[in-house]
Amino acid sequence: MSFLDDPKGAFADLTRPERWVLGVSVAFMLFLLGALLTGALGPTYFLFLVGLAGMYALLSFGLNAQWGFTGLINFSVAAFFGIGAYGSALMTAESSPIAGGFNPLVGLVVALVVALVLALLIGIPTLRLRADYLAIASLGLAEVVRLVVLNERWLTNGSAGVRGIPSFFQGWPVLSTFPETMPGLRLVVIPGSPIILGTSFWQSLLNVLLVLTFAGVTFFVLRRAHQSPWGRVLRTIRSDEDLARALGKNTYSFKMQSFILGSLIMALAGVFYTHLNLYVGPGDLDPITTFYAWVAVILGGSGSNRGALFGGIVIVTIREGTRFLNDVALPIDPAPMRLLLIGVVIVAVMRYRPQGILPPQRELIWPSAVDDRGTPETPDSGVREQKGGGGDE
Amino acid sequence: MSEGALPKEDAVLRVDDLQKSFGGLAATDHATFAVERGTITGLIGPNGAGKSTLFNLISGFYEPDGGTVEVNGTDVTGMEPYEVAEHGLIRTFQTPRKLEGMTVREAMLVGPRNQPGESFIKLFATPGSVSESESANLADAERILEDFEIDHLATQPATDISGGQMKLVELARAMLAEPEVLLLDEPVAGVNPTLAKKLKEQIRRLNEQGTTFLLIEHDMEFVMDLADPIVVLDQGHVLTEGTPEGVRNDDRVIDAYLGGGT
Repeated sequence: MSFLDDPKGAFADLTRPERWVLGVSVAFMLFLLGALLTGALGPTYFLFLVGLAGMYALLSFGLNAQWGFTGLINFSVAAFFGIGAYGSALMTAESSPIAGGFNPLVGLVVALVVALVLALLIGIPTLRLRADYLAIASLGLAEVVRLVVLNERWLTNGSAGVRGIPSFFQGWPVLSTFPETMPGLRLVVIPGSPIILGTSFWQSLLNVLLVLTFAGVTFFVLRRAHQSPWGRVLRTIRSDEDLARALGKNTYSFKMQSFILGSLIMALAGVFYTHLNLYVGPGDLDPITTFYAWVAVILGGSGSNRGALFGGIVIVTIREGTRFLNDVALPIDPAPMRLLLIGVVIVAVMRYRPQGILPPQRELIWPSAVDDRGTPETPDSGVREQKGGGGDE
Repeated sequence: MSEGALPKEDAVLRVDDLQKSFGGLAATDHATFAVERGTITGLIGPNGAGKSTLFNLISGFYEPDGGTVEVNGTDVTGMEPYEVAEHGLIRTFQTPRKLEGMTVREAMLVGPRNQPGESFIKLFATPGSVSESESANLADAERILEDFEIDHLATQPATDISGGQMKLVELARAMLAEPEVLLLDEPVAGVNPTLAKKLKEQIRRLNEQGTTFLLIEHDMEFVMDLADPIVVLDQGHVLTEGTPEGVRNDDRVIDAYLGGGT
């Protein structure tokens, strides 16, 4: 990539917050690397955390496609996440009270279809109305979905949850037996604290690759959509829906597309979670997931895909990082600190940087259309787009 | 009930017996008039005469209680605003609409209708056609900005320009939608005299190039100079229609403005 060809030039093009985020990320990665090498952080657990970060990034991407792009207020992130998780769990698990035992790919498709239907059901009556109605309806929907999952035992196993979920790669050639066939490794970086890479490590590695694929494809799709005329109509609706209508845009249809797209991405996060955690229960549909996703999007900067990614990682860092505060002798229990910390972060962002840390900072025009003009676009993205646009693969 | 009595052979917009009430108030009371193709038609009337309500009814933002609206001979009564726009009628708003986070030329690019890039599927299925139309639209946008002599603002944030410049951008953007008839709601309200003059020149130029205008304006000097014919609205119905001189010397119009109507 061009960043490698000309790191100095590319760095100079970054805005101040971008440099700041880059610096903090690099420092954080070095810190994690140090923790991994010294054995303070188990490699399998680390990969689990990366998987979790990818999952939160997906949730934030989904919410960003609704709130960040179009201004749709969706308080049922947890419901769509839960639909994705339960949809794939019920199709694939041995203990599933209904079908069960299907290939995880079938589970993925079923989960996405159910999420699509649910998005349509909630979108059809509310998206013609003012923005607040969707907010109210989605808040109710989240509770309805959670209570149905909790109480309809014949369908969901109720409060016992669903166990016996296979890995996502079960039934695939090579990959389904990959963790077992890989040799166990024992690395000694610091004498006395060897790092052991066994079956569970390879399993986690596969999960990480899976979530990186999901998140990577989603990011690519959203980035292209955001820069397109389609995304521009959504941004117009967010600023002023009447203007979009007056200019001949069918805003109801655009809002519906944005809502469905976001809901599908949230369900995708749920599908991944099922195969990461290998157990789903009604507790996974608690509204806290919704609020984590909202915090991630607002923290990262509404409307920015990079911001959503960044926010998702910060949420996981706070959620899981607080566990390590146990090691530092503190006079209080660190578990409640988690919510406190998230609260402090929100207050600080709202006070000092209400637009979020990485809001969209460049004009969004279909890239190949602006290449040959004088533009404030960064050179590296210009070059990249020219390649993408010209080749068309 | 007196009507816009001028004969209209080729009306691009025809409003017939349009009614709308809010509670007990008849905001539009059996209004009937037509806009001849190729004209700049003015719509004036005292405050509360129902001019903006009429615009909202015509452009589909309000649903009329009765009567019909025809654009280019097609009955568009009760259609959604986007459907009315598809028939060639575009409107602007009294207060300039701000598009946060967009540059001026991005805001301009919202204008063109039926862009292939507005289909989510085409973004991935046929990115070539999206690029092509985006390049063409961008070139059009820059050309129109040049015509309006605001091309230096192209990459400025759309929220950082003056109110008058916003009005110019709004007019320029509406032109990108290639309307046959353009409804302007107070195009020079709050605009300084220099920019107002510029707007007037632009409207006249665009009219000569074939766009029909219907405009609401309180600035009498502006509207009398630009528009012909002028439709006078009072208490929701059409009081009279005529040339600027005719309207200016009409006693009923003077009465309406001085509040002697009832």
